[in-house]
Amino acid sequence: MAGSLSPRERTGLLLAAPAVVFMLCFFIVPSLLLLVYSFYRSKAFVPIPDFVLDNYARALTSAGFWLVMWLSVKIGLITAVLSVATSFPVAWYIVYRTRSNTLLYLILASWITSYLVRIYAWRMILGSNGFVNTTLKQLGLITQPLEFILYNPVAVIIALVHIYLPLTLLMLLSALRDVKPDYLDAARDLGAGPVTTLLKVTLPMIYRGLVGSFMFTTVLAASDYVAPQVLGGTSSMTVGLLISNQFRQTGNWPFGAAMAFISFLIFVEIYLIFVLLLRLAGLAPHRRYH
Amino acid sequence: MLRAYVWLYVGVLFGPLFLIVLFSFHSSPAQIFPMEGLSLIWYRKFFENEVLVQSLKHSLTVAVCCTIITTIIGSMAALALARLQGWVKDAFGYITFAPIALPGLFIGVSLLTLFAQLGISRSLVTVTIAHVLVALPFFIESCRSRLEYFDLSLEEAARDLGATAWDSFRLVTLPIISPTLIGAAILVFAISFDEVIVTIFTSGAETTLPIAVWSMMRQAMTPAINAASVLALSCVALLIGAFGLLNWQQRRWKLARRKAVNGGASA
Repeated sequence: MAGSLSPRERTGLLLAAPAVVFMLCFFIVPSLLLLVYSFYRSKAFVPIPDFVLDNYARALTSAGFWLVMWLSVKIGLITAVLSVATSFPVAWYIVYRTRSNTLLYLILASWITSYLVRIYAWRMILGSNGFVNTTLKQLGLITQPLEFILYNPVAVIIALVHIYLPLTLLMLLSALRDVKPDYLDAARDLGAGPVTTLLKVTLPMIYRGLVGSFMFTTVLAASDYVAPQVLGGTSSMTVGLLISNQFRQTGNWPFGAAMAFISFLIFVEIYLIFVLLLRLAGLAPHRRYH
Repeated sequence: MLRAYVWLYVGVLFGPLFLIVLFSFHSSPAQIFPMEGLSLIWYRKFFENEVLVQSLKHSLTVAVCCTIITTIIGSMAALALARLQGWVKDAFGYITFAPIALPGLFIGVSLLTLFAQLGISRSLVTVTIAHVLVALPFFIESCRSRLEYFDLSLEEAARDLGATAWDSFRLVTLPIISPTLIGAAILVFAISFDEVIVTIFTSGAETTLPIAVWSMMRQAMTPAINAASVLALSCVALLIGAFGLLNWQQRRWKLARRKAVNGGASA
């Protein structure tokens, strides 16, 4: 095997080694270890090596777990739909209408600088002494602060959309960049209107990027545990919060690990369903266009 | 119409951040309009708070270490992508990309399990390891398009002309790829400085700034949190600004030199 490698590839392997070793030690091994833990028993908050399916059974047979899972998936999907739908026109504008990169850098900068700050900002805006309530009060529309706008899933979704918008946009952007304006011109010359061009040319061509950005946003939003904790109140228990509590408060790690793998499988399933739906809608190409 | 929508989008992205910055300068703890007056009291409160100042120092330490480690491993990985072929390249691409595709929660709890299993107590070292794991895929991704198509024959030409492997890297490859690497390194610094989700599981007694802010947030709303946020934002903004300036300066210098060379040739 090693004999068939060119010197160039051999250098490549040497250069790749540190990254591979790092990923092996701190990504692959820990993930497998977590899988092993999910079959452990827990006694008085101490994981005990064993091979039992109790943790999986306990989660899968609990109605509470499925309710939490359902809410998380809903939060994830709504966040993803809103993020993709609102970001698509902006991605379009950046790719086809402007030459300047300023807008792109602004959006990139907003993405990497302020996860927690955004959550805090929404608590400030939606809180009982926040902007929304005080403005409504000053306008004389209400006398008591509206308590229901904070501490519920809607507040969580607003913050999550706000947090993941830039990421969704960046992924749509890199997909759209592959659709050269020539294709769109060609479609127009052949008599396609804007809607037909979008459905028959653009969407099938950015299929992978579209699925990617949608799924990324869904998974990240559905598994977020910081926003639900700060903005969600008691009505917004999500699967991320449930899992993180097992690792921080209650201390049943094997149970938490089992729930992590169950939710992972559910995310994979959502991905498959989503791809299937796109296929049925005729938006998924069976071959690659570029 | 579309233009207006785009600016609305940007406005929504930055509006809440703007409010945070604005009210960090408010003289009263109320975070509503009309503002009563401006003051730096919340910044003074920040610097009087030993925990916050310590956590800012920790954050800077972790971010610097994380950036150095990630840049070294990541640059090597990106250069490897220019050389590998076929399934080896695909496999390498997948393994270095995978952590992006998983939620931070998953990465956080698996690292927590690993450290517990090995009996490693949580410290700034474990936080740095976690941050490298989170940042490395982003570093490689942002270098990929530039380095995947890097023309290796340039290096070979240098070797043919008698340069050692190290010299051809230092004198030919590095000058071409360094802007990309610096940009990616700044991205890494920002990611580390802002990381919350994985850090919560991997930090011990010594916390980073976002974690300190996070525990403050769970207790009470005080504009000291605004001040902490603004300080964190400005650290990263300064860095990005410096990079932009550097890029601009470099481009100007290159243009000027090209002009001088062309001018000399035509005269």
